[in-house]
Amino acid sequence: MVVLLAIVPIDISGYWLRLITFIFMWIGLAGSINLITGYTGYLDFGHVAFFGIGAYVTGIVMLKLGIPFFPAMFIGAVISGIMAVVVGIPTMRLKGAYFAIAMLVFAEGMKQVALVLEGITGGGNGLSLPIYTNYTFFYYCMFGAVLLTVGTTYWFERSKFGFALMAIREGELAAEVSGVNTFYCKLVAFGISAFVAGIIGGIYAYWMTFLYPGDAFNVLTTVHMIVMAFFGGAGTLLGPIIGASLLAIIEELLWAEFRYTYLIIVGFIVVIVVLYIPRGIVGLVREKVLAK
Amino acid sequence: MIAIEILRTERATKKFGDLTALDAVDVTLDKGVILGMIGPNGSGKTTLFNVISGIYTPASGEVRYKGQKITKKKPHFICRIGIARTFQVVQPFSQMTVLENVVVSALYGKGLGLKDAREKGEEVLEFVGLKEKIHSLPDNMTTPDRRRLELARALATEPEVILLDETMAGLTPAEIEEVLGLLRDVNKRGITIFMVEHIMRAVMTLCERIIVLNYGRKIAEGTPEEVAENKEVIKAYLGDRYV
Repeated sequence: MVVLLAIVPIDISGYWLRLITFIFMWIGLAGSINLITGYTGYLDFGHVAFFGIGAYVTGIVMLKLGIPFFPAMFIGAVISGIMAVVVGIPTMRLKGAYFAIAMLVFAEGMKQVALVLEGITGGGNGLSLPIYTNYTFFYYCMFGAVLLTVGTTYWFERSKFGFALMAIREGELAAEVSGVNTFYCKLVAFGISAFVAGIIGGIYAYWMTFLYPGDAFNVLTTVHMIVMAFFGGAGTLLGPIIGASLLAIIEELLWAEFRYTYLIIVGFIVVIVVLYIPRGIVGLVREKVLAK
Repeated sequence: MIAIEILRTERATKKFGDLTALDAVDVTLDKGVILGMIGPNGSGKTTLFNVISGIYTPASGEVRYKGQKITKKKPHFICRIGIARTFQVVQPFSQMTVLENVVVSALYGKGLGLKDAREKGEEVLEFVGLKEKIHSLPDNMTTPDRRRLELARALATEPEVILLDETMAGLTPAEIEEVLGLLRDVNKRGITIFMVEHIMRAVMTLCERIIVLNYGRKIAEGTPEEVAENKEVIKAYLGDRYV
């Protein structure tokens, strides 16, 4: 599968290349939020902030400092991760809905920052990056981001650190008295999760060549990440991959058929998922297998 | 044998707003003993455990472990240096198997690697009698089994002191008998036990010494017999008429 996806772009049309690149982007983003929400149990309603920070920092560093794309993207991701730790120090003391609301406010705040700092971000006029139209290049970048996300998730599943995160999700106090430094582990997980989102933001910025605060910090992006992760199965390796691929394809098909009403249908799908398969597709399959 | 002190609280005090939940409580725990703590509901027993295990910071007073001040330390630190605890309301990691539950505390409380933690987990689960349920999910288990799991999690950290908060609540007499045997075995391993228990028969047979709390104050301390005849204790439990 990996090999197949690696050689695919050699002869497919621009439309398909673009669609698959987008699907990769969503897999990466859903996988990124899965690390903090699925594994660690902190519902992050402002995750788009780290995508946006990664995107803007990449753009700004390339434009103002003339640094090439890859190092710029890396700087963006690192700053994204650092921001998560900084904002996490106060917000990760909150639980459940309060954390979600605090992060939502943080993301909206970052949007305002991007609007206000016109000298650096271009403000409401947006930010234009150097144009690069090799779309196969972006396909491979996003593919790399997917591999990074999956690799990180696999490490979460198998490592000592992953045990700590799952214990935090299942019961923070019990984890703490079992010897887990919960605060530290949460911050590290949040930082890693934001780093991944920052990488994807950086690629997105160079790919789109234009950034606008309302797009880069769009709350709907967060909603998409959450829905995709839960649709596939939060807290699992395959969940975000399946959820993001299916939902992205469904949306694409619906958008082509019902241009103005497709979001209503997507909304229906979300409701059905929440009601009937709260553990997502992976959870559903796992239950069926265990029941046998 | 000379008693070696392992844990003590010095005038430990905890306030919630105007309410003094714990009022200058002194407790001394010698290595290897089983100390019982009784008291009516709301008398501060769990609060004292929360102060010792670092969940609450006391308003004043100190907690010392092997002479070292641990008053403002975090719970994970206190667990790592050798004080484990269980909760009155069991708090298993529901989406993790029984073994994984125990592995977490072996990994972090004891600081083992993944492979050793697994072995440690299996050993402890066998010790508490959950060997067959190693791959079950806690939600599918009975109350006594979940209490055993709670105990196993504490034991997997290889503690020197274990704080047990009503391990026997809600168990049948036969199940209590089993847990009593288990706790004796735990104690034989050299682990010092400090336990809160409402089941008097259990406390009376297991503990050499008992302390009694009422309204956050320590009102009595002594052997089970001494405590049972103490006027303050009878008053706290039954009221003035029975003194």
